[in-house]
Amino acid sequence: MRRRRALEVLGAVAGAPLLVPGSAVAQALALGQRIRAEAGPVGGAPPATLSPAQARAVTALAEVIIPRTDTPGASEAGVTEFVDALLTGWLDAPDRDRFLAGLDEVDATARTAHGTDFADCTPTQQTGLVTRLDEDLDRRRQDPGEDETRTFFYDMKRFTLAGYFTSRPGLRALGYRIIPGAFEGCVHLDPYGTGERRRDGGQP
Amino acid sequence: MSRGAPAVRGRQEVWDAIVVGSGITGGWAAKELTELGLRTLVLEAGPMIVPERDYTEHVPPYRMPYRGWNDRKALAAEQPVQRECYACDELGRKFFVNDIENPYTTPDDKPFLWIRGRQVGGRSIMWARQSYRLSDLDFEANARDGIGVDWPIRYADLAPWYSYVEEFVGISGQIEGLPQVPDGVFLPPMEMTCVENAVREVIARDFGDTRMMTIGRTAVLTRDHKGRSACHYCGPCHRGCRTRSYFNSLNATLPAAEATGRMTLRPDSVVHSVIWDPARGRVTGVRVIDRQSGEDLEFFGEIVMLGASALESTRILLNSTSADFPDGLANSSGVLGRYLMDHTMSTGAKARFPGWENHGYTGVRPNGIYIPRFRNVTEPSPDFLRGYGYQGWSTRQGWSRGLDMPGFGAEYKRRLTAPGVWEFELGAFGECLPREENYVELDPERVDAWGIPALRVHCEWSDNERVMMRDSADRAAEMLEAGGGVDVQLLTDLTAPGLTIHEMGTARMGRDPATSVLNGFNQAWDAPNLFVIDGAAMPSSACQNPSLTYMALTARACHYALQAKNRGEL
Repeated sequence: MRRRRALEVLGAVAGAPLLVPGSAVAQALALGQRIRAEAGPVGGAPPATLSPAQARAVTALAEVIIPRTDTPGASEAGVTEFVDALLTGWLDAPDRDRFLAGLDEVDATARTAHGTDFADCTPTQQTGLVTRLDEDLDRRRQDPGEDETRTFFYDMKRFTLAGYFTSRPGLRALGYRIIPGAFEGCVHLDPYGTGERRRDGGQP
Repeated sequence: MSRGAPAVRGRQEVWDAIVVGSGITGGWAAKELTELGLRTLVLEAGPMIVPERDYTEHVPPYRMPYRGWNDRKALAAEQPVQRECYACDELGRKFFVNDIENPYTTPDDKPFLWIRGRQVGGRSIMWARQSYRLSDLDFEANARDGIGVDWPIRYADLAPWYSYVEEFVGISGQIEGLPQVPDGVFLPPMEMTCVENAVREVIARDFGDTRMMTIGRTAVLTRDHKGRSACHYCGPCHRGCRTRSYFNSLNATLPAAEATGRMTLRPDSVVHSVIWDPARGRVTGVRVIDRQSGEDLEFFGEIVMLGASALESTRILLNSTSADFPDGLANSSGVLGRYLMDHTMSTGAKARFPGWENHGYTGVRPNGIYIPRFRNVTEPSPDFLRGYGYQGWSTRQGWSRGLDMPGFGAEYKRRLTAPGVWEFELGAFGECLPREENYVELDPERVDAWGIPALRVHCEWSDNERVMMRDSADRAAEMLEAGGGVDVQLLTDLTAPGLTIHEMGTARMGRDPATSVLNGFNQAWDAPNLFVIDGAAMPSSACQNPSLTYMALTARACHYALQAKNRGEL
């Protein structure tokens, strides 16, 4: 097949299963597959690059971007640990430094505006600060003369999305199964999200 | 799998056959030769792979340090070429060579990406599994166009061997009755998505005289087959498959060879050259450098089959010099190393398909759709020779679309957790003409980590490929648009040759020893007991994914070799 680009950075999870037959687990067992169920991010280890204050800021920002709803949010999903891993071993030094400077600036802005670090601001204050960051990102996105990808908040947003949607709770929310067990090409999705599906002739 | 007793220096055993390489053709040679009764030594340059230990297809993203974003610093330092291949990812990269240990050179203005796997199983572990027969449209092409040399065989020669290998491999596909891509022995086809079905119907309605869409033909099992399990649609085939649901050497051919008790497999055996006996006019074996110890070894066999990949087999022959063959073994014609081809890739079109939001799919289909070649089949083109086929797929956008969306918070999360709009992309694979100017030679200076001369690759696309691939973008766009696609985007940038990983042609077969290296049975004109069974043998590239043809040619060559041996010809 045409070699896929890594659309979703997960590579082959690009076409992540939307819904999974109920027999998937049974089929997996029938296949003799042992599905590892350990927790994803390991808690407890101190960040290697982020200072404690910076780690608090990352956790708080990520939770504003992907908050806990009826499913876990970014913080519970271990986004802070993922961001620290990226800063430690993945980003080139200039990009790492830009991110850390941007992070410190968020706290500085919060202190100027509200007298406290971002993590200690009220939810309303946090939403206001992130709204400004997101509006600035969107303005740069619309401006042909700007490269919005070279900004702190672009990185913060993509690290949060990737960290959350590749975590166990994030993938569970997407309906991801390690072993789907079947491919059904054309199924009807219940628009009300009750998880039902039916075989479908394929009329839009 | 048995590693056998690694033969050591001074051991003068003469094997019935030596197979160099354990990838898709080496695996087939191992299976066929041992099943035909020959005691066979299989030499693999890389390490052993143990599926239960080394396959990683079920490791979820949250168990990867960079969640699938790859160890980009390690890739940059160790695999700056290999990383261009999508399958050289965070877990899959161990199946790709270290570029520092395995250098090659190119002229500055002719980039070529040589993607390689050195391990037991070779690149059959990471191959993309698409499997199509060639037809007489392809076998007659060079003769018809007066380009290159005529294939010494026709479809009728290879058809039974296609069936033979398909029956063992297990290929899912749909019978269609197309002359240009003949039907094979198929397992049940995979399903199309709703959007693919809709586009297929429109193509049949609006372009049906000449074009059609079928489901991809892929070496993935849609039902249990010969002791291997049906696919469970997990997705990352390129990291291996514990259920052996897709075909590779480790999953199928090497176990079959092992079962005969006549195979000895020796990993870590970097073949340096083939040994020529001028008195007998035969090859007698191969020189090997042990990958770990660096020790020089020799192994002897009555038949030598090179299946190390097109360029590696060619490199071994170029490095096998003697008084009789100062320019490389079996190179009396002077064409060894020349007529390098790859398929063009990455042109076509993509579009969005609104209106299907209530439709999805389950699982990850390791396959796409296929639009067989129509150019210069039923739709003549005045602008170029040959043609292209499309591979394509439709998916719903995932969460990464959130990067281009303003917003954050609960509603943003809710939207991104649901699948996005449908997208459908058609990507053309185009035939590349054989041209003398596209060639490989031994680099006069660079050597690899074992002291073996590196290749210098000279390769670039010609105008025929460029014009053809531009056409492929326009034709793809018109089909997607007719099918209801919006925001149709042309894809017109060709990737560098090599990246399609269909490199071939550098020891071509032909009808005349003066202009070809091999005869129609992959047998060297200059050395009757030497065979080249990989893509090096191809006189033209067609536009179909070539591995199935390599497998059929290999099986045929093995059976021919035994007959020739029994006739005393080798």
